[in-house]
Amino acid sequence: MPVNLPGLVEHLRKIAGRDAVLDRPEDLMLYEYDAGIRKSTPGAVVFPQNTEQVSQIMRLATALNVAVVPRGAGTGLSGGSIPQEGGLVIAFSRMNRILEVDVENQRATVRPGVVNLQLSEHVAHLGLYFAPDPSSQKACTIGGNVAENSGGPHTLLHGVTVNHVTGVEVVLPSGEIVYFGGKAAESYGFDMTGFMVGSEGTVGIVTAITVKLLRKPEKIATLLGVFESVDDAALTVSAITAAGITPAALEMLDGWTLRTVEAFCHAGYPLDAGAVLLIELEGLREAVEEQAVAVTEVCLAQKAREVRRAKDEEERALLWKGRKMAFAALGRVTPSYYTQDGVVPRSQIPAVMRHIGNVAKKYDLTIGNIFHAGDGNLHPLILFDMRNAEQFERVLSASTEILEFCIQCGGSITGEHGVGMEKRDLMSRLFTEEDLDVMISLRNAFNGRDILNPQKIFPMPRMCREITGPSQNPVLMQEGM
Amino acid sequence: MSTATVPTRFAADFRAICGAEHVTEDPAQMQAWNILGIVPALAVTPASADEVAGILRFANEHGLSVVPAGGFTRQQVGNLPPQIDVLLFTTRLTAVEHYDVGDLTVGIGAGCTVAQLSAMVAKDGLFFAGDPAQPGRSTIGGLLATGLYGPLRHGYGGLRDYCIGVRFVTGDGRKGKGGGRVVKNVAGYDMMKLFIGSQGTLGIITSASFKLFPAPRQTRTFVAFFPSATEALQFRSQVLRSPLDPICLELVSPQAHELLVPGSPAGAGWSICVRAAGSETVLARYRTELGPAVVREMEGANEQGFWRALEDFSLLAAERHPRSLLISMTLPVRDVQPVLNEVSAVAESNHFSFAAIGRVGIAHLLISLWQAPDAEVSLVSFVNTVSGLRNRLPRDVSMAVLHCPSEARHHISAWGPMPTDLESMRAVKMALDSKDILNRGRFLF
Ligand SMILES: Cc1cc2nc3c(=O)[nH]c(=O)nc-3n(C[C@H](O)[C@H](O)[C@H](O)COP(=O)(O)OP(=O)(O)OC[C@H]3O[C@@H](n4cnc5c(N)ncnc54)[C@H](O)[C@@H]3O)c2cc1C
Ligand SMILES: Cc1cc2nc3c(=O)[nH]c(=O)nc-3n(C[C@H](O)[C@H](O)[C@H](O)COP(=O)(O)OP(=O)(O)OC[C@H]3O[C@@H](n4cnc5c(N)ncnc54)[C@H](O)[C@@H]3O)c2cc1C
Repeated sequence: MPVNLPGLVEHLRKIAGRDAVLDRPEDLMLYEYDAGIRKSTPGAVVFPQNTEQVSQIMRLATALNVAVVPRGAGTGLSGGSIPQEGGLVIAFSRMNRILEVDVENQRATVRPGVVNLQLSEHVAHLGLYFAPDPSSQKACTIGGNVAENSGGPHTLLHGVTVNHVTGVEVVLPSGEIVYFGGKAAESYGFDMTGFMVGSEGTVGIVTAITVKLLRKPEKIATLLGVFESVDDAALTVSAITAAGITPAALEMLDGWTLRTVEAFCHAGYPLDAGAVLLIELEGLREAVEEQAVAVTEVCLAQKAREVRRAKDEEERALLWKGRKMAFAALGRVTPSYYTQDGVVPRSQIPAVMRHIGNVAKKYDLTIGNIFHAGDGNLHPLILFDMRNAEQFERVLSASTEILEFCIQCGGSITGEHGVGMEKRDLMSRLFTEEDLDVMISLRNAFNGRDILNPQKIFPMPRMCREITGPSQNPVLMQEGM
Repeated sequence: MSTATVPTRFAADFRAICGAEHVTEDPAQMQAWNILGIVPALAVTPASADEVAGILRFANEHGLSVVPAGGFTRQQVGNLPPQIDVLLFTTRLTAVEHYDVGDLTVGIGAGCTVAQLSAMVAKDGLFFAGDPAQPGRSTIGGLLATGLYGPLRHGYGGLRDYCIGVRFVTGDGRKGKGGGRVVKNVAGYDMMKLFIGSQGTLGIITSASFKLFPAPRQTRTFVAFFPSATEALQFRSQVLRSPLDPICLELVSPQAHELLVPGSPAGAGWSICVRAAGSETVLARYRTELGPAVVREMEGANEQGFWRALEDFSLLAAERHPRSLLISMTLPVRDVQPVLNEVSAVAESNHFSFAAIGRVGIAHLLISLWQAPDAEVSLVSFVNTVSGLRNRLPRDVSMAVLHCPSEARHHISAWGPMPTDLESMRAVKMALDSKDILNRGRFLF
């Protein structure tokens, strides 16, 4: 990149402070990757402390034509926070304050660097919480959640991040600071807030976020449905939906995955099961009791071997521990894994699970499945060893074949992890040239030189891959993921 | 009334796109389709997204202004259009794109009415949560473009929560889409959000996909009356803090109650109407939890009729008081009380009476204001009432004047200040409709 890097770094230090810029190779290495499979080394990393600094940094980068990539915790799974080689990373770890909790309006306003779980912990004593709960919630930031429109197990009932954001403060690529929305649930005018969420940092940088806080439910029931086969469990998922019950969460673990998890953290999953469904119901006590009975009946009618119910909070936490620790458990049995995030209509889950089984056989790979079954949001985890280049090619072919099947079923290539760099070439299977052209014209209205999060989302003429193992990410290692 | 002038030579081009029988210039018909007195030059009714694209490309090339139209229930809302060259009806875009009963999703043409969609899914025990006024005429496209909602918003969320896909043609004639037919999807930009509430100024919606809900087996409505709005809102807050999760939580002012339930005494007070779905056990819990404040329970046809009337509040108010203002406001929950105080003060100083309803747990208010019977109210009073209110509203409130006496339209802007940056909205508009052919002058620009 034809930029006088020392000059840029000096400028950045003037804006954000001497200790707020990294440019030594050994420091930059930590910002080469996210939790996906690519890597690329930035030229510098800057840690702004307020919106005004972000604005000045953006002005500077635009003037010098330096590519900018915002970064939360780097837990993304689609290469979203991978920088341009030699470009600038704006990291939000120092913009991590909860600015306001407005109990009466059930809103909080936070800086983008606030860690997802911290917000819920911060408002817990008020009986409130922030609903989007990605499995990475101990580490990932709300800024990252907004950019990816992240989901989580409990977004089945409550919706994904966009359903919980009512206002944002944004720094545009021009450096201008603008406001979209506010505390009201909706307002007249274009829903720019909704448009920003999920735009993967390609339209602007989010510097403050107003989110909804929900009241904790009166009653929660956690059930574990144990099945002989993936097929039976998969049929149960659509049967529950068809029975008119919307659980708060409905997660599936296949037999291979539950055994791997059980060996690691002893959540109490039966080792000889073909699959389990982790089902959570919440709401008014009376309604939850009725639903628990109905769900149990559906499971048994679909040939569940048994349905267990957590007796207390401790048992509930144990059942969830298995789900939440699954990725860490996987790290023990494989050097690397590639997580896909396709979506199918819920009634297609049995078909897609059979397809994944066939793909695993065809390419001679191990594929575990642990996913948000209630939304039809798959997470096939394809194991590989990055030293085996030939195997990695098979991994890529297998994942493309799975995603193509999702598209054929009327589904999508990503339910919550975003397109980033990893799936941008599949976008043209889902959208026509003209569909993409419309979206690109919107990006260009704000980010015409593609300087902010360049080369994300939209297909590239050509792409090259580099491989890293997910376990190298220091944030994830620290959090045991 | 003024008449727009599209040289008739263009009519032939539109006939070539959609067929002769789907283009009309009949003067009487055009007159009937006037918008705030502006008479369109011609009307076209395309049969497909491709035809819509053909019309818009042609209009774009020739700089013709186009007004999208569905059921025509809401066309008098918005600012005065300078001229209307083409009125584009979506009423032939009614095909079902997909209907997945087991998945609880449906995709349908924008010209389908809300009532048709509701009836189709009701056969399978499903439920479409959009509840606009006049569902028999309101179309899916009009519902999305206006972005409004009724009382069910409380329990089921708004269109932005359950619209999962949209297809459209941009003002510059490009066919585009966002989302798809699955309930969770982050591939590409969320075009649904931009189109919902865009008032037909970015593109013409040709079809959309939605999440459906299981139809509730039974519902019950609990009504509590209070001497003042303050006490009613305290009760609202108590419900919000309780474990209850009703499907509707509505405030009804005394005058509004009289409009909705003909023959009810005017002095009945402010009411909070809580609509719950669930088994007898669940409903019994509501009864206990809501306590002695509840003096009335409604069920069955009675209950249906009440909520139907509430959805049609704006029409009932306009029928009873033709020279009235209808104001819609979105606001933070905590601002409902101060805003109602302002409404009351402004109404009083301009000699108006008012009726208000609203989903006060969200919050969204609809307020009808009309001149007190014995007061001499001039055009100025209408203008003053609107500006008086706009000047006093807290920051996060946005307010639209949905209805006012026609002669006042020239002096009252339909839209006031909005919390969202105007220049960013302009950038979006320019990206999709750079020649400003769609609903020119009626919304923001
Ligand atoms: C073990 C594990 C489990 C996971 N489980 C889930 C899950 O259940 N559901 C789910 O949805 N995801 C999940 N993820 C993916 C990931 O955690 C989410 O995408 C998360 O929201 C990313 O947050 P982050 O702070 O790490 O963002 P990063 O990875 O740092 O960045 C993600 C994207 O956001 C952009 N960005 C960051 N901050 C800003 C900002 N302030 N303004 C504009 N753009 C910004 C970046 O440029 C990048 O494009 C999981 C990941 C792991 C490793
Ligand atoms: C006085 C009044 C008050 C109202 N109050 C409420 C209320 O409180 N709650 C509520 O839910 N509804 C309310 N409505 C609105 C109305 O019932 C709905 O918004 C209805 O869905 C509009 O649908 P329509 O098909 O009649 O659209 P039209 O009246 O034909 O069009 C309405 C607007 O949408 C645009 N439009 C229509 N179709 C499309 C399309 N396919 N693509 C792009 N733009 C399009 C039009 O150009 C126009 O700007 C009110 C209406 C009126 C007249």
